[in-house]
Amino acid sequence: MKKYLESFSQRLFADLKINEEVSLAVSSEESDFIRFNQSKIRQNTSVNQHDLMLTYQSNQRLYKTKFSLTLDLEVDLKFALAKIKLLREQLNNTDENPQFFAMENNGTSEVYKKNDRPDTTQLMALISDTFKDSDLAGFWTSGPIRQASINSKGQFHYFETDSFFFDYSLYNGPRAAKGFYSSAQWNEKAFLAKAHESKNTLSLLSRPQVKVSPGAYKSYLEPMALAEIMGMFSGGALSRNSYEQGYAPLKKLNEKEKLLSKQFSLIEDNTLSFDTHFNSIGEIVPDKLPLIENGELKNFLTSTATAKEYKLQSNQADPTEALRSFEVRAGTLEKSEVLNNLGKGLYLSNLHYINWSDVQAARITGMTRFACFWVEGGEIVGPIQDLRFDDTIYNLFGDNFGAFTKHQEIFTSTSTYLRRSMGGMKVPGVIINSFNFTL
Amino acid sequence: MQTENNQNLFVAEFKKYKSEADFVAFKTVSEKSRDYTVRNGKPDQFYESNDSGLLIEVMKNGHIGYGATSEFTSEGINHAFKKAMAMTTAAEKNSVFKFTEAIRPPSKGSYETLRSRKLDQLSLGEVYDFLKKTSLALKTNDKIISATSDVMLIETTQNYLSSAGAEFTQDFDIIVNSMQATARDGAETQTRSLHGGRGNCLQAGAEYFNLDKALQECEQISREVLELLTADNCPSETCDVILAPDQMLLQIHESIGHPLELDRILGDERNFAGWSFVEAADFGKLQYGSKMMNVVFDPTVAHELASYKFDEAGNPAHKKYLIKDGILQAGLGSLESQMRSNLSGVANSRSSSWNRAPIDRMANINLESGDKTLEQMIASVERGVIMFSNKSWSIDDYRRKFQFGCEYGRLIENGKLTKILKNPNYRGVTVPFWNSLSALSNTTETYGSPYCGKGEPSQVIRVGHASPYALFKNIEVFGGG
Repeated sequence: MKKYLESFSQRLFADLKINEEVSLAVSSEESDFIRFNQSKIRQNTSVNQHDLMLTYQSNQRLYKTKFSLTLDLEVDLKFALAKIKLLREQLNNTDENPQFFAMENNGTSEVYKKNDRPDTTQLMALISDTFKDSDLAGFWTSGPIRQASINSKGQFHYFETDSFFFDYSLYNGPRAAKGFYSSAQWNEKAFLAKAHESKNTLSLLSRPQVKVSPGAYKSYLEPMALAEIMGMFSGGALSRNSYEQGYAPLKKLNEKEKLLSKQFSLIEDNTLSFDTHFNSIGEIVPDKLPLIENGELKNFLTSTATAKEYKLQSNQADPTEALRSFEVRAGTLEKSEVLNNLGKGLYLSNLHYINWSDVQAARITGMTRFACFWVEGGEIVGPIQDLRFDDTIYNLFGDNFGAFTKHQEIFTSTSTYLRRSMGGMKVPGVIINSFNFTL
Repeated sequence: MQTENNQNLFVAEFKKYKSEADFVAFKTVSEKSRDYTVRNGKPDQFYESNDSGLLIEVMKNGHIGYGATSEFTSEGINHAFKKAMAMTTAAEKNSVFKFTEAIRPPSKGSYETLRSRKLDQLSLGEVYDFLKKTSLALKTNDKIISATSDVMLIETTQNYLSSAGAEFTQDFDIIVNSMQATARDGAETQTRSLHGGRGNCLQAGAEYFNLDKALQECEQISREVLELLTADNCPSETCDVILAPDQMLLQIHESIGHPLELDRILGDERNFAGWSFVEAADFGKLQYGSKMMNVVFDPTVAHELASYKFDEAGNPAHKKYLIKDGILQAGLGSLESQMRSNLSGVANSRSSSWNRAPIDRMANINLESGDKTLEQMIASVERGVIMFSNKSWSIDDYRRKFQFGCEYGRLIENGKLTKILKNPNYRGVTVPFWNSLSALSNTTETYGSPYCGKGEPSQVIRVGHASPYALFKNIEVFGGG
């Protein structure tokens, strides 16, 4: 792929005129997707796809055009050159873009990572066999992912990795326990241990269900439940561009009208290596960028385009200004002390379908899901029926914050819309002293 | 990149492989999507996507597997076919169900969006001019900090050939047009849009663009967003609610469409999108809603977003009642789900593109109209709230407990519209909620969503929803803060 891109870019850039700049952002994957139901295979899909986002800039104007690559160099070049020809004719019929900035050479690099995992055909048999005594619904994904960022100023960053994850849930009628396994290197013992742990959790769900009425309860959120909430910090909440345009759930935090607990620190940490070392326009991202530190907002994610428009300092955020690779700092609560600390309340393993119910108030609503329990006297009593919550970020991590656990868990992205995503997070569990449930 | 050469290669390569498995189908999708945004009268985004590739379906001992590639060359297709065969051969040993070839009918024909001028005739300059004028028309006041006009122009072509004898082509032109204003005054920020986010979407040609109509819509959006800055919060109480069609689209989508998908009922989606409160035994029996509730699956409506002639398994599309007089009749299940469940279904095997396998999806799911005027409905309410344009949505994985929020509300007191309300929200439980339906207006409006998410691997798909205004009794409403 790298050689193909070198040939493609050299020939494409040779055709540019003096006042023109072009950058190429490449995504490529060879993926196996295996979908399971009842511990058997429902669908298998293997996808070999490559696409290229071409950004054309001239005369303070810019246009992005993405197209699928056939890897037939002549066919792909002909398409790209025809697009550029059309843009030369049409783009001047528009106005200057306030986010325009000249491209730069952000250097060259190559990174290759390898995962020594079993072949997918072997995995299919292993998964079906491991869970043949269970009712499993789940999803295996594996294969190489490649990304590159190239521009006509001489920049050439190339990244290639191989990754996998197995995201699944086990069922006893309507009661379910969630499992997830992913690692930089496949380890069958670790996979089997995870399977064993999920089956154990499911067995706890066979206890009689406890009816819990809507109200405010002390709650423990396992790392996977907190991970769902942290997804809300990624969807525009920390984007400077969104903030400037009025989509600002963290406005009160930014203006210090509200603070979160001093225990709450959120850091974009690219040393965790969940994503590439360059963003989609090829800028090298900082190793660490504190976003919220000890309860105070320190930085928004500010891309160079946003910085240009609003005369700010860029922190090399991706143009999407979404979190890529981040950590919520751990606390001091031992995992073994969680139930004692909770005493009486809700133990929540997962949350589902979270959305802002009032953006300006940073209020979110969503549902409990999978293995969630009522706890009394520091012991699990039984599973609950799903509850709807509706509460603010300021309550959860500010006024009603209890403690973060010492242990953290890693969640690599399982998003597969359009293509496999990279990125991930490392988060602890959290005690919330009062969490508001409405339905 | 849909070219004559590609079409020739597609046919030639299909012939090469069509006898290499128990069943073989080739599907190409070529889609050009232009997404242009103008903010405060200046370019915000000019983005274009040209996505094309091939999906290969193979059946081995009753199990269907897939290989997909963007490498539209003989070598690329050969690699994808071999991979699909190897994986399917391994998978069929532990497959969920053994299908027969009956799930892939030998349909022939073609479909084209009803249009008088194709979208490919619209230049960047023409579109930019429309967006700039409407964006500037939204910005009538300095308190409006963001005035955005956006359009997605989508041109899609599908080609399908199967060893069972199917041969069809479908050609879609789609427009998603949104306009939105965000206003701020001190600590208060509010947003108002054209039918909520990207709800205003349809199949149409370039004749859709009507600047005079759009400028009138801009005037309304801009006026209403300023009204919201000084409006009262929606009260917290239990009262009547009238939902406008641009909120009903989400209510129908989340609490009727998704729970009726047969693949959810069969458990395929349990790990991701979720299961369903609907069980197989409910069909023909469950009183889903009040007697005035009639819901159809209908991919035959001209201009509605998810209209087509065949689903992606070649099943011819027809209108079908899902709920009749409030009783649940049929599910949203493809021929595959129908064979697995022995339940009645529809032609809804659909995928987001060439790189994803088809699964059970919604298409156009429409609530039929009633016999009241909107004025009569308002006049019948002693105390209630009318809500417009969705802005927040959440529902549980069984599709029971939902909470939705809207952009703009009006209080109804003694049969009359009174105060303007900001942050109108409501919550409820699906079956009791639909059974509280007590009036429907005698006209419908048609909207949709370009972004319905589901599946592992995940896919977004386009759905259409038409609805009248609908009155529900005794609903829990509340405001923001």
